Amino acid sequence: MRALVIEDEAAVAQDVAQALSSAGFVVDISTEGEDAWYKGSVEDYDVAVLDLGLPRIDGLSVLKRWRGAQRTFPVLILSARNDWTEKVAGIEAGADDYLGKPFEMGELIARIRGLVRRAAGRASSTIEVGRLVLDTHRMSATYAGRPIRLSQLEFRFLDYLAHQSGRAVSAGELAEHLYGADEPGDSNAIEALVVRLRRKIGPQVIETRRGFGYLLAGDGG
Amino acid sequence: MPRSLRVRLLLGAAIAIFLALAAAWVAMTLLFERHVERRIEADLIREGLQLAAALSIAPDGSPALEHEPGDARFFEPASGLYWQVSTDRGASSSRSLWDQHLPAPVDANSLEWKNRIVDGPFNQQILLVERIIRPERSGADVLIQLAHEQKSLHEAREEFGHELAMFLAILWLILSAAAWVQVELGLRPLRHVRNEVETLKRNPRERMAAAHVAEIEPLTLAINELADAREKDLSRARRRAADLAHGLKTPLAALSAQSRRAREAGATEAADGLDQAIAAATSAIEGELARSRAAAIRAAPSGDVTVALPVIESLVGVVEKTEFGARLVFEVNIPEELRLPVASEDLLEIAGALIENAARYARRRVRVTGEASEGGVLLVEDDGPGIGPEKVAEALMRGGRLDEAGSGHGLGLAIANDLVDATRGAITLTRSDLGGLKVTVAWRASAVSASR
Repeated sequence: MRALVIEDEAAVAQDVAQALSSAGFVVDISTEGEDAWYKGSVEDYDVAVLDLGLPRIDGLSVLKRWRGAQRTFPVLILSARNDWTEKVAGIEAGADDYLGKPFEMGELIARIRGLVRRAAGRASSTIEVGRLVLDTHRMSATYAGRPIRLSQLEFRFLDYLAHQSGRAVSAGELAEHLYGADEPGDSNAIEALVVRLRRKIGPQVIETRRGFGYLLAGDGG
Repeated sequence: MPRSLRVRLLLGAAIAIFLALAAAWVAMTLLFERHVERRIEADLIREGLQLAAALSIAPDGSPALEHEPGDARFFEPASGLYWQVSTDRGASSSRSLWDQHLPAPVDANSLEWKNRIVDGPFNQQILLVERIIRPERSGADVLIQLAHEQKSLHEAREEFGHELAMFLAILWLILSAAAWVQVELGLRPLRHVRNEVETLKRNPRERMAAAHVAEIEPLTLAINELADAREKDLSRARRRAADLAHGLKTPLAALSAQSRRAREAGATEAADGLDQAIAAATSAIEGELARSRAAAIRAAPSGDVTVALPVIESLVGVVEKTEFGARLVFEVNIPEELRLPVASEDLLEIAGALIENAARYARRRVRVTGEASEGGVLLVEDDGPGIGPEKVAEALMRGGRLDEAGSGHGLGLAIANDLVDATRGAITLTRSDLGGLKVTVAWRASAVSASR
């Protein structure tokens, strides 16, 4: 497992690197934007921890350049700027998580592990159902070529339906899949999820079969 | 000197008008007196000529009249109208003179009518006209004197002066009122400027309108320049404060690294102390940042409106990435055209804090609803445990100071509450039909209209 720590404050960089090493990562440190961009572009990392206020090129620009060049490794932004404006800008630039400084090292490591686990479980493949295309690696979707931002839960919902080859799936079964068998099924939450996905993608994508459940419309409407 | 320009101008005008009218009063009464005096004099001379026409010299050398002048006042004693003709040998006079005489002439040889004002009979001041005539070529000189007392003239003058004064007083009032109208009209642009400065004070982004009278325009331009400078200073100061607060965070992170190192070296107590200090400093910084943001909004309401839906969707996109947001369904029911009377960065902070807080406590669902009633309403609900009514004040930290808050977590509602208050809105906490907390943020309608 390789991690890239981009941080211009040496003490913080060393500390994060040390903690990540203890957690089993091989860590590279970069202290300025241009070097970070170069490393991220040519090396294959499993995760990057990115500070936003960097010399030469700021963190957000580095991230945008990576994403523009199809570098898809998960990125956690670690920034002193903890405003929502900054968080939104970071996530929309392609970050996968955001942590404000100062932070608890335990939380940082837990979040990095979460990011790596999510990314690692995904084979690089796509599933097509009609005009809906799911990218299982990036956990993203397009509909008729238009990119759609999905939350993890939404992606898992669509992914599960996509693997049922046209079978209608009941709300109870979906709840069990999404929330686990030990938690009680919550059909209201599933209904709300369907409403939200229909609004995001289009009303015709998820069909309701009365008495049976939901299925992805094969022809894409 | 009164401080009010209006009072000064009005006072100045009133005094100037008063002085002018007083001078007019003096001049007009004098003219009136002279005019009446001339009329009396002319009347006396006319009577005198009639007297002269009826005059002859008696054989004993005294003057004799064929008939006396007819004016009734000549027959009433001390009536104030008198005549007297006299020669060396004797005199004849009107009955009104009774036993008195008109004063002797100063210039006894004048053949022209002369007039003078002297003390006369009955202690009256009189206007006296007199001349010498020679009724017969060979005869003696006859002195003809006619007199009219001055008292009635003085009375007429006083009466006239009194009436004139009344009239001029009314004129003074009318002119003063005209001056007042003029002052008001003249000062109106200044009042306009004052009102604009007032709005500028409320909102530093406002500027004075360009349409001003030529005399005022340099002032408004100067005020606008001052406002520009002030806004720049304000935002620079705010940026500096924010930079300072943010600048402290990285050293704190470094300090936290030291603390971990100390802990690894076995200095647990020292590390605990450091961690506590770091936590306190962090929450102080976060609280201060939030508080200064609210203070900045209060000091300079932007008057911006923000289309709500994209902001909320962006925020949901961020919260969905977080540990607790990833397992939740976010329902967003906001009309596309809904605008809220808050600048977009402030709406991000308010809604971000509320949605994150909801996500932290929700079990499955978070619902964000927007309504266009009044100034705009934003509802954030979750299906978590909710907050009991007795904990509401504590959660919103009403009356408390954010930078004195104990812990870094759970500040969300309090931060949102402070910001909502700064943007002229109000937060209420109730129970949601989802089962958990329902946060209602309602902005006042006036906030929207004021911004337009």
